[in-house]
Amino acid sequence: MDSTLQRAAELLAQARLPVFGGLFTDVNGAKAALALAQKLGGVVDHAASNGMSRAARVMRQTGSTPASFGEVRNRADTVVLIGDGPRERDPDLVEKLFPSKNLPRPGKNKRELIVVGTKKGRTPSGVRTTEINGKNALPELVALLAAATRELPFEIRDEALGKKVLSASKRLRDSAFAVFVYDPAELEEPVLHTVLETVRLLVKTTRAATLSMSAPGNGEGVNLCSIWTCGLSVRTSFAGETPENNMWAFETERLLKSGEADALVWIDALDGAEAAPPKRAFRGIPSVVLSSKPVKVGRDDVVIEVGAAVADHDAEIYLPPIAGIGVVKATSKKSDKPTVADVLNKIGTLIDEKGAA
Amino acid sequence: MLIQLKGGRVIDPANNRDSIGDVYLENGRVVEAPEGREPDEVHNVSGKIVMAGAIDVHSHIAGTNVTLGRQLMPELPLIAASQGQPFGPSPAAWGAYATGIRYAEMGYTTVIEPAMIPTHAIQAHKEMASIPIIDVAGLVVLGNDDYTLNLLRKGDVKSDELKDYVAWTLAHSKALGLKVINAGGSEAFKFNARTFDLDEEVPEYGVTSRGIVEAMQQVIADLGVPHPPHVHTNNLGIAGNVETAVATLKATQGHPIHLAHIQFYGYGKEGDKKFSSGAPALMEAINKHKNATVDVGQVMFGQTITISGDVLRQFDGRRAANPKKWVINQAEGNGTGVVPYNYKKKSFVNALQWAIGLEIFLLAEDPWRVLFSTDHPNGALFTRYPEIFHLLMDRNERSRWFDSLPEASRQVSGLAGISRELTLSELAVMTRAAPAKVLGLTDRGHLAPGAVADVAIYTEQKNKTKMFAAADLVFKSGKLVVRKGNVVAVSWGRCYHVDPGFDRQIEKRVRSFYETYYGADPSWFGVTETVSDRPDRFATIRCAS
Repeated sequence: MDSTLQRAAELLAQARLPVFGGLFTDVNGAKAALALAQKLGGVVDHAASNGMSRAARVMRQTGSTPASFGEVRNRADTVVLIGDGPRERDPDLVEKLFPSKNLPRPGKNKRELIVVGTKKGRTPSGVRTTEINGKNALPELVALLAAATRELPFEIRDEALGKKVLSASKRLRDSAFAVFVYDPAELEEPVLHTVLETVRLLVKTTRAATLSMSAPGNGEGVNLCSIWTCGLSVRTSFAGETPENNMWAFETERLLKSGEADALVWIDALDGAEAAPPKRAFRGIPSVVLSSKPVKVGRDDVVIEVGAAVADHDAEIYLPPIAGIGVVKATSKKSDKPTVADVLNKIGTLIDEKGAA
Repeated sequence: MLIQLKGGRVIDPANNRDSIGDVYLENGRVVEAPEGREPDEVHNVSGKIVMAGAIDVHSHIAGTNVTLGRQLMPELPLIAASQGQPFGPSPAAWGAYATGIRYAEMGYTTVIEPAMIPTHAIQAHKEMASIPIIDVAGLVVLGNDDYTLNLLRKGDVKSDELKDYVAWTLAHSKALGLKVINAGGSEAFKFNARTFDLDEEVPEYGVTSRGIVEAMQQVIADLGVPHPPHVHTNNLGIAGNVETAVATLKATQGHPIHLAHIQFYGYGKEGDKKFSSGAPALMEAINKHKNATVDVGQVMFGQTITISGDVLRQFDGRRAANPKKWVINQAEGNGTGVVPYNYKKKSFVNALQWAIGLEIFLLAEDPWRVLFSTDHPNGALFTRYPEIFHLLMDRNERSRWFDSLPEASRQVSGLAGISRELTLSELAVMTRAAPAKVLGLTDRGHLAPGAVADVAIYTEQKNKTKMFAAADLVFKSGKLVVRKGNVVAVSWGRCYHVDPGFDRQIEKRVRSFYETYYGADPSWFGVTETVSDRPDRFATIRCAS
């Protein structure tokens, strides 16, 4: 192990711009990756950054109106499910959002589900469901619902769809707590803006919010750690005097393709999730791979087997039911495999020692 | 190693000391002058001011809400820097690491994060553990959570269950004390209330704000938690709210309470603009209610961001967002509102808020009960403290600022009629001795033998802004960490918390509650020593019972 770590340290110490990608790891792993990236002047990215970066940009422009998962399931009387993404992220989502027992909730409405741009699917009995779907693309359907909620006059060729949209918009205005559920990885920024503006309109008279599905691979946990560490989300570079965030410039795939990055640290070490490596990974760009799974790499790449967070060791990760970082006990007997944090911290120490020598 | 701080003016009001003399440090503690031993290290500090390290009783430095603010406004440090405020010109200046560095440079060695969310305590502790040098503690927020409200429903507190629940929450989140934010108001917001007063009832639960605070005072007293309930009362920021603050003080019936950032409750509704200084009335009540301590929440002009669990108030405040963006986070318990705000000198209201805060400090009969804060970042960034010390200690500096305020604000402010200048000893009370006392951190805030060796040394200057912006020397637990205003060694501090006992039955009840309503296991958000990779991170403060 020591010689492998030594090789990793040598590889990274020579790098001009190493990118730390994947980052499917627990918060301690993220913390160690950020520390090493800061030391080396590298970039941190996460394999599920697309959605998180979009949500972050929109938030920086106009803010956000989140509700926690617990608040939605206990108190929302109207849930608007946008797109296929939310149920792809969690197939049992609707059942979870309409539990049989809940805390006191506002208003006297029966609970209702509105699905937009996706099939009705499986719904709990007794929950009225409206499906706003058809030939129109998802962004158009969201725009229709937003315009109707704003009570803007419009005509639409598909009269049946128009009626459903008007009815749904009335329901939204009459709701005591309407919540829009979406996956930011599925919606482009203008659509996110449209949803948020609809919530901001509704809250003038009633209660409304958004529930953004969490990114896979502990994306939120890694992202939060990045923010409290350096003030910025993932897709941040530490190459300059001050950290710089840019969702386009610091994407792993682009940095590898353009040749700007000259080393890759690929981290994929969470139980039950697999980070999809960039197309150009392990093809000539020197790489250090920390993985809990078998992985095909280049001949000169350094592979370090690490434990899978949650399976092999206790892990602090983002947990949607509490809408925050929690700790999960290891599911299997304690293994002797090192954690991502152990390995990265050790590499950092070796680089320091090398620098001092 | 024995360290001698030789010949400085030692200002240690907890021990009635303001005299030239020496202070000795050894093994991380202040020690008696040793007989027959030569010190290993001597720092000649003659002509300098020697104080205990400063303690911030209320500063939002970590946790979900703060990081939500960072997400909304990563550009805050850049704007602040462009306005000449000493906050580095990089988003990283608002990160955890920079927080500890900047506090230490000013001579602060202990800071309290006043709003840990019970279910997010792990994040708060992870963040706090990333802040170097300073010691920390968190106050955990209850009073708008459905478990508490259910117990208080119609005043029906079942046996000791609330006491056990509060004790379990304090222990589970490794908190030093309890915070209550607009008791019942955030829950009422969930039922679409847009205002919430002291005697209004929480929908569905029937309990009033007054009832919640009274119950929490009783519980904290019964548990023997040293720090009294740390309360953010109703009607923050609203003209005429001084009546609410005074009524809240009366409602305490002599039981200990700490009222947070009271400047934001010092508002009358007199005059053409229906907004006036309530500071004299507020301070009359505070001076009288000797059971109460307060921190001030001073406002300073410039860009900041407001971060609060008073989601109802922040929702209303969103209209004043500057820049025009805001976050309302609706969640278990309080939720959060994050609203950027730019306090402007030319604004009638902002100028009066600034003057009201200073009036409160200067009308305090007992500095042991009126503690320093800006409610960072809500009234001002903590980096602005030295300017405020200057304003409090130098009436000419105060006049200079006051004279540049709008005439309408000056006409209705009583600040110009106050000639008091705080002494160094009074400042040491408000920033050291009193916070230590009210928090129950008896080993700091003073320089008696046995105290933790947290010492800040300044060069006395007429310009107090310069004096306090950069300490000459700072020792943290006996280690020299700052020299000439710059950090020379990065150490890692400890986290203080209480661990009151409780009937283990409460664990089953809480687990059942979270499983039923949230599909969550409370063990997920329990803070253990492993939240930090340093084995001596946590220290327990003993409860009286």
